[in-house]
Amino acid sequence: MIDDERDLHERLEAAFEAITPRSAPIDGAVRRGRAIRVWRRAAVAAGAAAVVAIGVFAVPALLHSPATPGPVAPGGSSTVTVQAPGPHSAPGTIALGTINGQRWQFIAGGKLSGAGYSNAQDFTTSGPAFGGDAGSQPGTALAVYGAAPVSFLELTCGPVQIYYGAVQADVTYVAVRLDNGTVLTLHPVAVHGVRAVAFAIPVGAGITEVTAYSRPGEIAAAIPFNDPSGMADFGVWLKPGQHGLARASGRIGSGTFHGSAWSATAYLGPWGICFQFPAGVACVLDGVSVDSGATILTSGELSVAAGGAPASTALVIVYQPDGASTTLRPVTVGGQKLFAFQLRTGPNRLSWTDYDSSGAVVGSMPG
Amino acid sequence: MNAQLDGEFREFMSARWPVMVRLAYGLTGDQGHAEDVAQAAFTRAYVSWPRVKRSGDPEAYVRQIVVNQNRNRFRKHRVAERLTSSPPESGVVGVARTDATREYDERSALITALQRLGPRQRAVIVLRYWMDLTEQETAVALNCSVGTVKSQASRALATLRQDTELVDGGFQ
Repeated sequence: MIDDERDLHERLEAAFEAITPRSAPIDGAVRRGRAIRVWRRAAVAAGAAAVVAIGVFAVPALLHSPATPGPVAPGGSSTVTVQAPGPHSAPGTIALGTINGQRWQFIAGGKLSGAGYSNAQDFTTSGPAFGGDAGSQPGTALAVYGAAPVSFLELTCGPVQIYYGAVQADVTYVAVRLDNGTVLTLHPVAVHGVRAVAFAIPVGAGITEVTAYSRPGEIAAAIPFNDPSGMADFGVWLKPGQHGLARASGRIGSGTFHGSAWSATAYLGPWGICFQFPAGVACVLDGVSVDSGATILTSGELSVAAGGAPASTALVIVYQPDGASTTLRPVTVGGQKLFAFQLRTGPNRLSWTDYDSSGAVVGSMPG
Repeated sequence: MNAQLDGEFREFMSARWPVMVRLAYGLTGDQGHAEDVAQAAFTRAYVSWPRVKRSGDPEAYVRQIVVNQNRNRFRKHRVAERLTSSPPESGVVGVARTDATREYDERSALITALQRLGPRQRAVIVLRYWMDLTEQETAVALNCSVGTVKSQASRALATLRQDTELVDGGFQ
């Protein structure tokens, strides 16, 4: 039997090595890929315009008011539905529904392991709403991250954006308000040891607010940061009556890596603090102080980290894991002292110390 | 996408293009289709490249897209490929067989035998016995259970062992 398999491997190797593919059509793939991205950006721009309109006319409604939904600017014309799986749904189904009458279904598979996978899970999309791109793909594993009632993650499949996440034990249902006024009601289902919810919307469709409810009533609501790539990023959740941060943004760090410039920008708002890094957007998790640790995103060999410091901080000395130290001047954005730097090696043993203008230590990480 | 990410994608595609074309060739049996499938897969990877990079295993991501793209191709094109009552001529009669032509015939026989397998059995053979993926990695790529991979592999191997053209070629 072993001989058979080795023999088969060698013969397959010989058969496939005999194929000489034409030179890689890299420019063609990049050109087509860019065209798709431009289309997506156009869809995002339509959503962003709606958000600006809300900002102008509903300035700045930072006090979260439960059960009193305000006026919502008209967004896309898509008709979106979602429902919980029925008794005949495939095992692992979190949710199903329609987008403009076309069906979709989202199914959680098992955890992925092996080379290259860390904290990944297999997910399957099916239905015509995905435009022929349905299938299985890896995504971040379902789990409760931080203190958020719903730990939302996202996947893109063709023209559809899927948001999925594990919910805390007391969550009985979740209401999602889209920028066109549609309200989706999500009911958690038990899959692979967690309770989870999911919904699907067209790429670029805006999410105005998500509210989690328990049996007694509202737990908290999240107003996501709609980032430039069309994703909604979830940070803090506001309990009824709780104030959020005022909207502000500013560049908090920049540099060069292998001759290419990079920069990091902080976006503050009712979502908390989100950072636009070269590799994408990451938000400070609910229940986590920006002063208490670094938010890091890696793209290839470039890792950029962002952190915060107390208000009196004038200088931050960052001690890199490789022993080097870097002196930074934090930038004030929306009243927060923030900074970003390039991480020279992995995040282990990263630390920093915050100093005020007199040279006194006013903070440190780890604290 | 910034210049660095763009450069990373180009480097990745340049390095992995031949492997993905050969994977697609094993699934389709047609080099032209294989190159189309591979190019579509890399295009999709480019669209989401920051996210694909973050997944930690870009090759596994593209591999999965190749398998899925091929499945989509079958859905889209299955009516375009017609069965005929008489099979096309499969060889040249009356030509002395050199070592080179013998190797060519053996390779052709294997590719033809692969195409006689069902799509899932064919994919299991290519992923498991050419790419050397584990059963679990194969299951992820095919979106099925490890048990299905085992059973499909077993059936496919049995079918290949009984294929008379392959027996003549030495796989027994």
